[in-house]
Amino acid sequence: MGVHQAIDVLQLLLPVLYGGLVLLYAVSFLGVGGARVERLKFPLLITTILVHLLYLVFRTIAFDHPPITSVFEIMTVLAACIAIAYVYIEARTGTRNTGLFILLLAFLFQLISSIFIKDIVDLPEYLHSLLLGFHVSSALLGYTAISLSAVYALLYLMLYHDIKSSRFGVVYTRLPNLEMLETMSHKAEVFGFFMLTVGIVIGLVWLPLVFEEFSYLDPKLVGTMVIWLLYAFGLAAKRRFGWQGRKTLILSLVAFGFMFLSMTIINLYLSRFHSFH
Amino acid sequence: MRMNLLSIGISHHTAPVALRERMWFSDEEIREALPRLREMFFSECVLVSTCNRTELYGMIADPAVREGVVKDFLIGLKAARDAVGPEHLTGRVGGDAVEQIFRVASGVDSMVLGDIQILNQVKVAYDLARDTDALGPVTHRLMQSSLHVGKRTRSETSICEGAVSVSYAAVELASKIFADLARRSALLVGAGETGELTLKHLSGKGIGDFKIANRTRAKAEALVADLGGSVVEYEEIAAVLPSVDIVITSVNSPTHILGREEIQRIMKQRSNDPLFIIDIGVPRNVDPASKRIDNVFLYDIDSLSAIVDKNLTRRQTEVPKVNDIIQEEVAAYFEWYNSLQVGPTIQEFRNAIEAMRQEEVKKNINRFASADRDLLELVTRRIVNKILHRPVTLLKKSAQNGAGNRETLQRVETLRELFGMKGGGGEDHDV
Repeated sequence: MGVHQAIDVLQLLLPVLYGGLVLLYAVSFLGVGGARVERLKFPLLITTILVHLLYLVFRTIAFDHPPITSVFEIMTVLAACIAIAYVYIEARTGTRNTGLFILLLAFLFQLISSIFIKDIVDLPEYLHSLLLGFHVSSALLGYTAISLSAVYALLYLMLYHDIKSSRFGVVYTRLPNLEMLETMSHKAEVFGFFMLTVGIVIGLVWLPLVFEEFSYLDPKLVGTMVIWLLYAFGLAAKRRFGWQGRKTLILSLVAFGFMFLSMTIINLYLSRFHSFH
Repeated sequence: MRMNLLSIGISHHTAPVALRERMWFSDEEIREALPRLREMFFSECVLVSTCNRTELYGMIADPAVREGVVKDFLIGLKAARDAVGPEHLTGRVGGDAVEQIFRVASGVDSMVLGDIQILNQVKVAYDLARDTDALGPVTHRLMQSSLHVGKRTRSETSICEGAVSVSYAAVELASKIFADLARRSALLVGAGETGELTLKHLSGKGIGDFKIANRTRAKAEALVADLGGSVVEYEEIAAVLPSVDIVITSVNSPTHILGREEIQRIMKQRSNDPLFIIDIGVPRNVDPASKRIDNVFLYDIDSLSAIVDKNLTRRQTEVPKVNDIIQEEVAAYFEWYNSLQVGPTIQEFRNAIEAMRQEEVKKNINRFASADRDLLELVTRRIVNKILHRPVTLLKKSAQNGAGNRETLQRVETLRELFGMKGGGGEDHDV
């Protein structure tokens, strides 16, 4: 089997593996799986990540560039980053019950990527750039952190709602406490915001150098700035006006929603920029 | 092999607390009782005593001993014949007795389903019996298996999960809101039983600091002397409120002592940091409308009781899983017990030694001239028979005094352990 066939197989296999992981973590979250599911969870997660890394290496070799030149290439890298970040968080904090929600996001990104990704062989010369490498790396780290922050914000809101309305079901039993969810969301957001800022600054330096027809009114760029402002406002409100809990987390979720839309719809249909091919 | 294990017990199923407390044995009383019980009835025994139950488990030395006599002796030991009768005690034998101690250790037989304390008490009973040399192989294994059942129940089912008292439900909620109680502080206003218990639990969970305010200052001071913390004048509550994270109110007052506007003001002062209010007062001490304020978590006695009810129902659904564990462990226990039979053990022992002999002969036979090979067979057989003779004779002899007696069982178990036969002492549970 050649590298290209291997890529085709892995492209199909990865959503299946992530889907299986989500299923396993869901069963575990609901507490209906028993000891076997608990034993199987972590090894499957590691296997999935290894398969994913192999897929990324194969793509890099086969197409002679790292998979960071289109939004769907970025999405598969993002899925891998999220899964790896989750392994780190689980090891660091010992919180095992948030895996379902984080891996669900990784699954979604991988699924979208696997459906739409194209084999890009001929790369425009301007994409062989060191600045682009920094831009993409910081944006990827930023997106990963922001995605994690959004998941924790969502979990916070679910638990907050359940505690407030005296619903003591699975969410109440399985999730960590509110303060911890808020702290994790906030820390991830601060890191993500910083990395996104770096990514945007590099992008703004690099874009006018490469594209002659570059416009600061490109919908993608405007969208990105709106998202950046939303996060900046949320973080400032926390510091300046003592915003706590629900309000800041709702804002961070709204910003994430915009980011997701910007990555998908705006990128696909409205903007010429970030669609280089 | 029939098992002469007898259990005699009094519990909340059979007697009210007034009788149960008469039959409660302190650790010292257990230490004194065990040698006497052994002297009278048992080759080995163990006594479990808690505030809700007293249960005796022992291997009957003389099969002629009747259950009623043991019951009467036990009641006599506590000089409780004036109140407690044999009808208040339940007797069980063999498998039923084994199942009973497993049920006790798992918490399914507890007054509060899944009570987590019980396993410690079983462990204490085990230690006391071991210290007084009252244990034999059967009860030693029985206690180890019981602790194993308790451990499995806790790790494989959720029968112990979720608070089952109002005060504990409040503390559980606190730990769902705050990450580290050591960095938080609490204020108890009024001094009712549930309020005190809640504070006690919070203190047990390591709450950083707590204050107590009561209309009668002396009462607050008495509580502080008991629990720690500090006293706050009842009139100064308003000044303290912004600096505490958990407020427990338990005051007899016809009007709300905390209104919505006041809580809104407090929240501003504390920069909207979460505030957890436990209102145990009836009528309620805190305006229920405050519940709608962001980051205010207000619970009254009814909503806390609802948590308790829900947890109890959830624990109830776990009972079949626990019963499955108990049945598995009873089967495993009897498999071990039956391996202690003298006849089959002797046969297994012979086979094991004979297998060793044959293996060595086979390995070395080529070193002997053909003419000597029959001789090798003969000599090794003789050596083996000589080695086997004394242990086998001793075992047979002690079996004649009763297959289930402590000495025989101990010998069988040691032999099995020494020669690595299944069921030997080396397979003890890790407890």
